[in-house]
Amino acid sequence: MTDTHTRRGLSIRGAQRRYVKETAALAGADLDLEPGRITALLGPSGSGKSTLLRAIAGLERLDGGEIRLGDTVWAGPGRHLAPERRRVGMVFQDYALFPHLDALANVAFGLKGPDARTIAMAQLEAAELGHKAKAFPHELSGGEQQRVALARALAPAPAIVLLDEPFSGLDRRLRQELRERTVDTLRRAGATALMVTHDADEAMAVADALALMDQGRVIQTGAPEHVWTHPHSVTAARLLGDIEVIEAFIKAGAAGTPLGPVATPDFKNGCTVYVLVRPQAIRLTPSADGAFTVTRRRSAGTHLAFTIANAEGQSFTTHTPVPSTLAVGDRVDVELDEAFVTVVGA
Amino acid sequence: MTPAARQGGRLPDRATALAILAALVCAAPVFAVAWIAVTGETGDYLAHLARTRLPVYLVNSALVAAIAAGGAGLIGTVLGWLVARTEFPGRALFSWVLILPLAVPAYVAAYAWLDLSQAGGPLHAATAGLFPTVRGAWGAGLMFALVLYPYVYLLARDTFTGQSADAYNAARTLGAGPFSAFARTSLPMARPALAAGLALVIMESLADYGTVSYLGAPTLSIGLVRAWSGAGSLVDAARLSLILVAVALIVFGLERAQRSRARSHAASGRHRPAPRFHLSRTQGLAAALACLIPLALGLIVPLARLGWLALNEQPAPNLLPASWHSLTLAAISAVLAAGLGLSTAYALRGRTFIATASARAAGLGYAVPGAVAAVGVIAILSGTQALIDPAWQSVTGEVFPVLLTGAAAALIFAYLSRFAAAAIGPSEAALARVTPALDGAARTLGATRGETVRRVHWPLIAAGITSAGLLVFVEVLKELPATMILRPFNYDTLAIIAHNYASDERLGEAALPSLLIPLVALLPMIFVARYLSRARSSSGQV
Repeated sequence: MTDTHTRRGLSIRGAQRRYVKETAALAGADLDLEPGRITALLGPSGSGKSTLLRAIAGLERLDGGEIRLGDTVWAGPGRHLAPERRRVGMVFQDYALFPHLDALANVAFGLKGPDARTIAMAQLEAAELGHKAKAFPHELSGGEQQRVALARALAPAPAIVLLDEPFSGLDRRLRQELRERTVDTLRRAGATALMVTHDADEAMAVADALALMDQGRVIQTGAPEHVWTHPHSVTAARLLGDIEVIEAFIKAGAAGTPLGPVATPDFKNGCTVYVLVRPQAIRLTPSADGAFTVTRRRSAGTHLAFTIANAEGQSFTTHTPVPSTLAVGDRVDVELDEAFVTVVGA
Repeated sequence: MTPAARQGGRLPDRATALAILAALVCAAPVFAVAWIAVTGETGDYLAHLARTRLPVYLVNSALVAAIAAGGAGLIGTVLGWLVARTEFPGRALFSWVLILPLAVPAYVAAYAWLDLSQAGGPLHAATAGLFPTVRGAWGAGLMFALVLYPYVYLLARDTFTGQSADAYNAARTLGAGPFSAFARTSLPMARPALAAGLALVIMESLADYGTVSYLGAPTLSIGLVRAWSGAGSLVDAARLSLILVAVALIVFGLERAQRSRARSHAASGRHRPAPRFHLSRTQGLAAALACLIPLALGLIVPLARLGWLALNEQPAPNLLPASWHSLTLAAISAVLAAGLGLSTAYALRGRTFIATASARAAGLGYAVPGAVAAVGVIAILSGTQALIDPAWQSVTGEVFPVLLTGAAAALIFAYLSRFAAAAIGPSEAALARVTPALDGAARTLGATRGETVRRVHWPLIAAGITSAGLLVFVEVLKELPATMILRPFNYDTLAIIAHNYASDERLGEAALPSLLIPLVALLPMIFVARYLSRARSSSGQV
């Protein structure tokens, strides 16, 4: 596959979409997709991520804003390029394989010319499904259907590949295997890809870049680790996993929390802020006169989850690497690892 | 709105317009009947009728419907269960062949059975008069059971096939034996579907004219046709129609309610389809025999008897034009109904209120017996004529050409109003296979709107739409009462000449036209039966 089609990035500015009688599905979303990179679009259900995906594909019209690929305007005031002229490849949530066509004909659907079947067969073989070329969708397993759907989307060498929760119908083991396979395939094709998901772990596992969506807007973008450690808001932090949110008052350059003071160089004294603490940030040390007591101990495989409470009844959850000798009733001192702590304005 | 946006909206809008047209065609006759019945002058015919014949009509209607429902329910449920849940010789073949008696009009079965069983008939002679003569309300009910049981069978078969084995197995682990487990889980779970099938049987028996008239069990439909053709009173016919429509609507409402319940009962059924019981050799042969008996009684024996009678008789002179009329009327109605059904199904895809309301209104037409639809069409046409006449005369000085007579279009109007609804359901089911994501997939893969319809929609819906059209074709071919009321003077169809000869006790001459209806209907019916049986077994996600 040539690289020429991956050179141009996609940019979305102020995308708006309203359904009748409902709140805006898209309320001015901005997003840039860099060529050859996989971006994960993460958000709760109803945040507008599927609508944004469909708007990029041209299956949904924008009420405002603009979508362009390089210099080509796909959607904008008075313009809506038909989906068949955008050269996007889309993998649908339920795969949307054509039930009346076999696997090969499904993959060849978007190809024209005498080589169509040859190219389609090559795609199928790359997906290790050459032997299933004559099988109809209902004769394929869920994982095989997903691989055919991806092969079909990639076959016409699209400018952008869009994936709408592509693993949602699969069990956990298969999910992980297919996730890796899908990422490998997208990388080999050098594709610019946008994948919608509501699973934070999945988003962080596959993506070069992360985009968080809430209430029709993209609220934060960036590299997965960076977004995880430096969320811009409580909403963004919660999207990426468990977090303790502590409202605090700044005094002498630090926010006072029950877990100890947190330095706040970016905020003025006297402000109220939210201190966001990942469970990994709280380190426990056994101490006979510690301020906290362990109230609950739960094994979560790779780590132990402790719930601790202080005399005021404030309780927090921590993640501690196994093994640990702490038991319910033990008194502990806490220490915060500031790499896992962020402060945002209230 | 941009030009592109307007173009995008065009297809659903056109479909919605056609859906509204379908609703008007289907619902207008009923409303016309109601209007005439309420606003017409009060005569003494109806009062006279209420004192004399009306109780008989009502009792006969109830009796015929009850016997038909009981018989069809029994046959349909047992056969549906056997085909769905057991394995026996010929099961795959019976699965669709058992639907074929729908090709036989009940009145055709009645001609053959009365001829066989009456004094002097071969069955009467062979059993020394012990075999009762097929006659009266019970005879008519039996005929309906034999040719209408496929409605129950189809729904029973699909319900029992879709049922999860879990409930049955749970009952077994809780201490119920096989029969008790069936009676306490499988059967109650299938009840909504069975009730829906029975409602169809009852509606068809109430709408019938030919059978009950030939076997001497005058029902409300007979009263209606007599009020129009005997007394010539549109108002009285309309008032009788209202009674019939009221009964039909109650049954229809029941059918709709049960059908939606049937859907909810089947919702969790797909995951663990029950394995079929393997019957022993003797049991298997018994099962095959159980399938063969209704098939023989409803299809093979009547056709054989009529075939034998026809062989010994010269074809009637008006057979050719009548066949031509039957074929063309049925074909035109089928194409138009399929078109209206498909448009309505497309409109329903848009999920707009107007589309849903139109589809429901069109669905009402199915509850309206043919005779009522005919009276409604007459009411509409004569009303229109009365409106146009004075204006036309004042402008042109001539009499306006008569709308009512000489127009096969009136017939097609009535057929459509009754049967277009029968095409909407199957079209909707066919189009349901085309999920919005399939459209999206085709479009993002470079197919234009038109190409998407041609390469994705059409291959997926063609068989369903064809089968919907063929179903209407068969129904129109069999239709009698509406044709009798509306047909232009000297305009015969196969059903009409069969009925006329049979009523004149000239069964020999009635035999060939009677035979031709099921013979012509058989081929389309085979297509429909195979489609209905294949669509269920292969498409996992539908």
